[in-house]
Amino acid sequence: MAKVQKVVLNRVEGEIDLKLVWEGNRIKDAYIIAPNFRGFEFILENKPVMDALVITPRICGICGHAHLIATTRAIEDIYHRAGVELDVPENALLIRDITLASEIVQNHIRWFYMFVMPDFLKLEKNRKLKKFEPIKGQQWQKAVDFSSKMVKVVAIFGGQWPHTSYSIPGGVVCEPTTFELLEAKAVIDSVIRFAEENVFGMDMEKYLAINDPEEYIEKARNSDLKTFINLCFKHGFDRIGRAYHRFLTVCEMEYLFSKGITKRKRKDFDVGKVKEVDSYSFLTESGIKHGGERYSWAKAVRYEGLPYETSPLSRRINNGDRLFQTLLEKYRDSYLVRTWARIDEIMKMLFAMKKWIEKIDTKEPFYKKPSVEPSKLTGSGTGMCEAARGSLIHQIEVKKGRITKYNIITPSTWNLGPRCEKYPSPAEKAIKGLDSTLKAEMVLRSFDVCSVCTTH
Amino acid sequence: MKTLLWIQGLTCNGNTQSVLNGENPSFYELLTKVRLLFHPAVSYREKLHNVVERIKKGKEKLDILVVEGAITGDERFGRAGKYSITELLDILSRKAEYIIAAGNCASFGNIPALYSGNPDVRGLQFRFEKKDGYLPPDFKTSSGYPVINITGCPVHPAWFTQTVMAIVEGKDIMLDRFNRPKELFMYLPHDGCIRNEYFEWKVESEEFGHKEGCLFYNLGCRGPLTHAPCNKVLWNRVSSKTRAGMSCLGCTEFDFPLRENYFETKKNIGIPEEVPLGVTKRAYITITGVAKTLKNERLTKKLEETD
Repeated sequence: MAKVQKVVLNRVEGEIDLKLVWEGNRIKDAYIIAPNFRGFEFILENKPVMDALVITPRICGICGHAHLIATTRAIEDIYHRAGVELDVPENALLIRDITLASEIVQNHIRWFYMFVMPDFLKLEKNRKLKKFEPIKGQQWQKAVDFSSKMVKVVAIFGGQWPHTSYSIPGGVVCEPTTFELLEAKAVIDSVIRFAEENVFGMDMEKYLAINDPEEYIEKARNSDLKTFINLCFKHGFDRIGRAYHRFLTVCEMEYLFSKGITKRKRKDFDVGKVKEVDSYSFLTESGIKHGGERYSWAKAVRYEGLPYETSPLSRRINNGDRLFQTLLEKYRDSYLVRTWARIDEIMKMLFAMKKWIEKIDTKEPFYKKPSVEPSKLTGSGTGMCEAARGSLIHQIEVKKGRITKYNIITPSTWNLGPRCEKYPSPAEKAIKGLDSTLKAEMVLRSFDVCSVCTTH
Repeated sequence: MKTLLWIQGLTCNGNTQSVLNGENPSFYELLTKVRLLFHPAVSYREKLHNVVERIKKGKEKLDILVVEGAITGDERFGRAGKYSITELLDILSRKAEYIIAAGNCASFGNIPALYSGNPDVRGLQFRFEKKDGYLPPDFKTSSGYPVINITGCPVHPAWFTQTVMAIVEGKDIMLDRFNRPKELFMYLPHDGCIRNEYFEWKVESEEFGHKEGCLFYNLGCRGPLTHAPCNKVLWNRVSSKTRAGMSCLGCTEFDFPLRENYFETKKNIGIPEEVPLGVTKRAYITITGVAKTLKNERLTKKLEETD
């Protein structure tokens, strides 16, 4: 008879429980349970639309800035659809990308060192891994230091991280001087040195030219990514954790990635094909329901009826990145490949940030006030962005400046929401067939679990 | 060595993330001075359930309990592992020598307390302005302190790590009427704001995106009305909202989520409905008249064009 086991996870963002159904020594089925709910979409109803810029970042302490950008874009889309062109200055667009990328780099560093590497300490006793031990380990401490340093860039332009609301329809609130730009650049350079020396064991230029995993392993000095890759091969993590091999990316970022969906071939993304399914969720179109087969506050999200993974790996695949196409051919969408893609993005984001910051012209404006007051707005808008964990979608309906409906679809909803009638979520699928609880936890963490975003 | 246990209610994790940014001391430096029993984002071998059971049985002492997030007793909306959040508090609040509410949610209920679908959301000892939190109004831990509220959405890391240091070193912590450490919350974001001269001479910003101008009169800045040393102990040690050009949102106060139109100043016949703390409306009007008449020429130009 099947045995049911409930696992409470720590080292994830927020509270996530895992219900594992065992058959013999294999996991036959997995349910990802997001048990906490704050009701942000309801709290936003009837609020002045501009207040969403203050409220939505507070959905999430680690990727709140992505929510700010999505809200900003959604309100700008309301203007656009109402026929009011905003003409957001180029400087503002650049700074928004820079601060968003800072948050993403911060996230990837913290996730890799605080949430991923400690699992290997549990998996094997190895004196060489001591440096990854939480709190005391030298690499753990460096990761905290440099992830904290990274978000100083957000503070330079936005005043603080977490939870600034410095990006507003029409631009950004700041008007930095040359010297603030130089300070931000110095921070970026410092994090690049950390990444080269500790994470990648290779200079930025060399790493960005790598097209083949073997080439990386051969050329890289000892580094934490290399240690991680070797551990993956040793423990078979190149063969587990596979989801649907379907990838979704809703936004492009210059120098980094293009948008699209990849099933067998890459196609254009159309937001109209995104649907939420609530058949296993406590939260339904007709109110809150408990009981029956419902098990999570999150809803399932489907694109043309199918589950898709959204993540840094999706971004690499939809961008046609050679290194990750090779990795995917060899190791499919396994734990190794998904995790590597997240780490890989640290370097690619830092590279792009350096390019963007050079383009800022302090003599040009950073904000252009919209010609229509937000309190006069009636209509609807969609704002999307690529956040640390993948694609984020905000949809707002507004009547005379007040929000009548606010819908949020987070990357974690795509990846670790509940099942629909036909398919388990990508993370649930990736856990099926594993032979240990620890491996189930690790595979789940490869999706970079953010339960606070999953349910919001 | 004193012990510290960090638990979470309904939260965004922003206080954890903010505390990780800490300097002087950093979070891991602090943990050389206190022994961490459990933190959900940090611990990797220890399980919350085991720690709580040891504390419950008196096998482990609990000196400092840190709570992040709002409190609900309704298990449908919030749990911490095998416990409801209030079950956890029932066990731990009796044992802890000190309890710290880290951030506005644990202090006042904050944004989660706005959700009408779950009316049972509150802070540890307050629900917004009222002493209607989960713990009784006269609740005190064995140290004699009520819940120490380190407010903010999120909490500033240094306010947190330094308060824990004060406890470790046995210092007296003076509290204000919302049980916040007075020596931190006696300052206003207005104190040390680099736009202070514009305030003084009533040179008001009309729109965002400029280095110049004061954000108080038109753009909703709460700097002169909020208790928080944001321009003394800078954020991420480099800046603050008002320095960057963003209005202070008043996020360390109980009414932060209750207010609306954060980017506008409510006015009555041209006079802000709320004037700076310690100033009467009459004094505000008089000084505004004088400042505008006398005028500081320098502040009327773009900074790059000043002498």
